[in-house]
Amino acid sequence: MKKKLLAILLILSMLMLSACSSQSGSTDANGEAEEANTTSEQTTVTFYGWGGSEVTNAWIDGYLTDAVAKKYNIKLERVGMNIDEILNLLLNEKQAGTDKGSIDIIWINGENFASAKENGLLFGPFASELENFSKYLDPNSPDVMFDFGVATEGYEVPFGKAQFVMVYDSSLLSQVPVDHKALLEMAKNNPGKFTYPAPPDFTGSAFVRNIIYDIVGYEQFLTMDADYDTVKSAIMPAMDYLKELKPYLWNQGKTYPASLSILDNMYADGEVFMTMDYNPNSASSRISTGEFPEATKTFIFDKGSIGNTHFVAIPFNSPNVEGAKAVINEIISVEAQAKKYDPSGWGDLPVLDNSKLSDDEKKVFDSIPLGKATLPQDELMSKRMPELPAKLVPIIEQIWMETIAAESN
Amino acid sequence: MLLPVLIILIGILGVGVMTTFTQSIGYFSAIGSNDFTLDNYMRLLTDKGLIESLVFSMRTSFISAFISTLGGVILAVAVYKLGNEGDLLSKSFRIPIIVPHLLSVLLIYNIFSQTGILARILFSLGVIDSFESFPQILYLKNGFGIILAYVWKELPFIAFITYNVLSKLSTKLSDAARNLGANSFQAMRYVVIPLLIPSILSSFILVFAFSFGAYEIPMLLGATYPKALPVKAYIEYINPILSNRPYAMAINFFIASMGLFLAYIYFKCFERVTRYEKQ
Repeated sequence: MKKKLLAILLILSMLMLSACSSQSGSTDANGEAEEANTTSEQTTVTFYGWGGSEVTNAWIDGYLTDAVAKKYNIKLERVGMNIDEILNLLLNEKQAGTDKGSIDIIWINGENFASAKENGLLFGPFASELENFSKYLDPNSPDVMFDFGVATEGYEVPFGKAQFVMVYDSSLLSQVPVDHKALLEMAKNNPGKFTYPAPPDFTGSAFVRNIIYDIVGYEQFLTMDADYDTVKSAIMPAMDYLKELKPYLWNQGKTYPASLSILDNMYADGEVFMTMDYNPNSASSRISTGEFPEATKTFIFDKGSIGNTHFVAIPFNSPNVEGAKAVINEIISVEAQAKKYDPSGWGDLPVLDNSKLSDDEKKVFDSIPLGKATLPQDELMSKRMPELPAKLVPIIEQIWMETIAAESN
Repeated sequence: MLLPVLIILIGILGVGVMTTFTQSIGYFSAIGSNDFTLDNYMRLLTDKGLIESLVFSMRTSFISAFISTLGGVILAVAVYKLGNEGDLLSKSFRIPIIVPHLLSVLLIYNIFSQTGILARILFSLGVIDSFESFPQILYLKNGFGIILAYVWKELPFIAFITYNVLSKLSTKLSDAARNLGANSFQAMRYVVIPLLIPSILSSFILVFAFSFGAYEIPMLLGATYPKALPVKAYIEYINPILSNRPYAMAINFFIASMGLFLAYIYFKCFERVTRYEKQ
């Protein structure tokens, strides 16, 4: 009798739980008309995003938290979480019909933004409601309108800019390669001293795309179909190049570092003499912490390197939408962007439109000292290439895995 | 008495497994798909990367479990034989058991990588002249680094279990064997070891099942290709194109089924262990 009861209870509870999870949550955040948060009541805003960068965390926990506490009486809580986990969380909450989630702001861009927008995980559009958005940003600039080729439509606001750079030890390498051909030469002369993180690592993937751009250019990709065969034939020359490069890489290219942090470690240890990063300033900050050797410098190919913008967005079920808007407004203020750009901290490039700044405001940015290993802003800007559409990225990563990693030599 | 805990455990686990299963056969409301399909499971059979991952996971788990079991049993018998003199050994071999798996990766990496402690010692002794001369034994396609990490963790674990079973074994049977003229080795070989077999087998299965489904060690110490099965599953899972999710779920369900099957065999073995314990 007891066993039967147990069995019935178990089946019932499982049925109930699974019934709940299959309800389609059709709750869209239809912009509740809440009053602006100017009361003296303290509210909390949670900020979810990748927590793998110490300098980023320090800026959010330090400057940004203080600023919104003072101005809006908002308690900012940062939670470090990988974007795929964040999106999974939101997806599950949407499926379960959770109206009030736990996330107010997400740090997002690229294919993840495309996926989130498509699946209705974001609140918006809200960008034009922010005071600083119309004041300091150009809403028609492609950097603001498009994220990896996908129209942002006001669902996300620029947070900062990144540009892919290569980091090298100038005491070990006197001449930097200006393009992929020179890179191959350099690898042949210094076997085993260079490698790149295996895609789908974000930076490794960017390196592969940069090589693609250098060999076949980027224009054709902006309107390309997300079709496996089309992409494969377009990037074949780059894959052939990477195959040719393979035997001169670290470990003869038989295996690649699983993530950028591992590659950075190898660089700091002297196992390889180059690494790479999306943040042009991170090398400088790591020289000052002693992580990287003093002679570290950065460079980009002559044809240019990939630049992208990273954004912040609000989930469909944020419990404090007004608070989130206030914090995001603060993020695109002059002071916040300037403090963020300071290489002694994060060193992330600002997103504000230079032509919209007053002379005083421009001075704030000019006074920020250039990092020791950082390339000057105008050089970076003049050689900046746009990201290709988000949908193509996983296809490229898959092709790399099949043609480069899976081939045994 | 176990009812409340069982409801929670099995309820949560059950919902997880059921969601995985329903998504893998095509019911994924987030992307609006509502048709039954076996495409994802067909893909399991045709995806070359997946087959290689499966073979790789099987190989490394089997080899790790085999070496750990063999070595663990030998160690346990040695410590048991030593009796009081083996006290220090018996305490020290248990240390790897309490070290978390992630930490053991750090240990292996710091000691055995080309710029690790071992390489540096050899370099300062003049045995090698640069770190490139130190053989690369991690990140290999044969999974050596992974096996090393697992053996370091699981061999003491199996030794620990075997030692406990050994000490609880009734000495009546081996005494009887000795009485009848068997020497110490023969008693061990023909009486004690056969009694230990169920426990040995169940430990083997435990380690095999665990290492088959584990993620962190193969992810950090493995090669770029082939990836261990759980690592492959994760990569398919984080693909931003959501329609790939059901495929990841199919892989996960397969891993879970394997685990379930192994657990069943484990329980069958375990039943036989208790038969020979002291009354």
